[in-house]
Amino acid sequence: MAFIDIEDLEVTFEGSGRQVRALKGVSLAVGEEESFGIVGESGSGKSTVLRALCGLAPVTSGRISIGGEPVQAPRDPAFYRRVQMVFQDPYASLHPRHTVDRVLSEPLAIHGFDRAEERVEQALEDVGLGAGFRFRYPHQLSGGQRQRVAIARALILEPKIILLDEPTSALDASIQAEVLNLLDRLRAERGLTYVLVSHDLAVVSHMCDRLVVMQGGEVVEQLTREALQAHATTEDYTRNLLTASEGFTRDPALQR
Amino acid sequence: MSPLLSVENLRIAFPSRQGPVEVVRGVSFSLGRERLGIVGESGSGKSQTGRAILGLTPVSGTATADRLEFDGVDLRTASTRQWRKLRGARMSMVMQDPKFSLNPVMTIGRQLMEAVKLHGGKSEAHDKSIAMLEAVQIRDPERVMAAYPHELSGGMGQRAMIAMMLVTEPDLLIADEPTSALDVTVQIEVLRILDRLVTERGMGLIFISHDLRLVSTFCDRVLVMYAGRVVEELDARRMNEATHPYTRGLLNCLPTITGDSRPLPVLARDDAWLE
Ligand SMILES: Nc1ncnc2c1ncn2[C@@H]1O[C@H](COP(=O)(O)OP(=O)(O)O)[C@@H](O)[C@H]1O
Ligand SMILES: Nc1ncnc2c1ncn2[C@@H]1O[C@H](COP(=O)(O)OP(=O)(O)O)[C@@H](O)[C@H]1O
Ligand SMILES: [Mg+2]
Ligand SMILES: [Mg+2]
Repeated sequence: MAFIDIEDLEVTFEGSGRQVRALKGVSLAVGEEESFGIVGESGSGKSTVLRALCGLAPVTSGRISIGGEPVQAPRDPAFYRRVQMVFQDPYASLHPRHTVDRVLSEPLAIHGFDRAEERVEQALEDVGLGAGFRFRYPHQLSGGQRQRVAIARALILEPKIILLDEPTSALDASIQAEVLNLLDRLRAERGLTYVLVSHDLAVVSHMCDRLVVMQGGEVVEQLTREALQAHATTEDYTRNLLTASEGFTRDPALQR
Repeated sequence: MSPLLSVENLRIAFPSRQGPVEVVRGVSFSLGRERLGIVGESGSGKSQTGRAILGLTPVSGTATADRLEFDGVDLRTASTRQWRKLRGARMSMVMQDPKFSLNPVMTIGRQLMEAVKLHGGKSEAHDKSIAMLEAVQIRDPERVMAAYPHELSGGMGQRAMIAMMLVTEPDLLIADEPTSALDVTVQIEVLRILDRLVTERGMGLIFISHDLRLVSTFCDRVLVMYAGRVVEELDARRMNEATHPYTRGLLNCLPTITGDSRPLPVLARDDAWLE
């Protein structure tokens, strides 16, 4: 059995008399210390997979297990010590009136960790910020620095699994490169398992050994990085995504 | 042939506690009936450059230029009347954030139809609006016509706005990150529409983007901005001949599907780039 095992997951949102079937029987299996990618266009259900893992989506059927054990509903504190999440928008995910110190100390207090100060400074060091950032507020940080703080917050409980939802989509290319390198290094050093969601095929291909392509709440194809690089896809949808990801190609009829 | 647009030594400053800060510092370029890309990271001055051309610099800011000319009209001294004739009808801008440029209390349909009417197409306003929404790949145009801006997702709003700009068939379109909120496949469709307007109708297009890969495959020419200045101008097909370390850094730090450089090369900034 895989480290993270999702089987036939169904999620249906209900609201204002309308039902949205966000996941229509999604299955995936992620190995321990693997970096696994989910790509697809907006609305395809990528974030919902991560949210369902964390118990934050209305699952109507299916099974989720981690390390061979079915996850508890609602998730217990032990779950969050093993599984942490990093979100896309570094502006929305940090409380505007909390210092970095508070952002990082709170989870430690909730989970009863000792040596809080030391851990906070170490976490800031680990994400390349340094202790000088401890008493800053989010508005005193750039987008890339905020995302580093969000990663530090995820790391501070020493989880085994980090769920990354478009972690660099709001960042400039040069900052994205720094954050991707940081994530790569941390995974290697700590044997972390990643599930990384992105609409950017190049990011997923760079970061992940295997990936699934989602469309309309379903997994349309599963690929290895090598297969993706070789364009060895069997689905038209994946092929379109691949072509579009490589940039614009001018219609030859319109060439001047 | 004289260019459609000439910009010389454009400077834009905002007040700050330490005195005025220049965020655009002497930008010059000219534009024909072509696709000109402006790339650079956030804060480099791309949007402010685009806005200044349309006379849309925020009131707190000051824009000056040695020359700012559109089709023979000196924009620096244009009267309100002249602007009214130019903006919307002959020069248009697709803003980065549709929330700020669509009218929040009017349905998309009404806004679109008014734009068509302004362009002198009263009777066909409804049909033309629907056609434009279809052209930007909106599958359910009637529903979008009836919706208010806040009822649309970011991507839908951006498409509606592109449709709005296109109904007026401008001579110059400034598109500020027009496709950043869209999925890649839709993004390519929207670019195809813009492409057709340039090649078939001779529109001039300024395409502002942070996405160097997209710009280099779509545009004819690219200006690379850093900290308010154009540090390099390149033929889009010759991006790999870029010589400025900033441009090279930007090109190299992008992950690629086929490449396997690990760690990704990061950009080492140099204060000399500011000069
Ligand atoms: N809280 C919610 N209430 C209603 N519908 C939702 C909610 N969250 C997501 N959805 C819908 O579920 C589908 C999948 O959404 P999501 O997982 O966020 O997609 P992605 O992350 O791939 O862009 C979409 O149709 C979205 O509108
Ligand atoms: N209304 C304003 N007041 C003060 N500074 C501003 C204002 N608008 C933009 N700026 C500053 O001008 C610089 C350039 O901004 P902008 O042109 O929007 O950059 P880009 O579009 O390249 O991301 C930024 O540093 C930004 O903070
Ligand atoms: Mg999402
Ligand atoms: Mg901008």
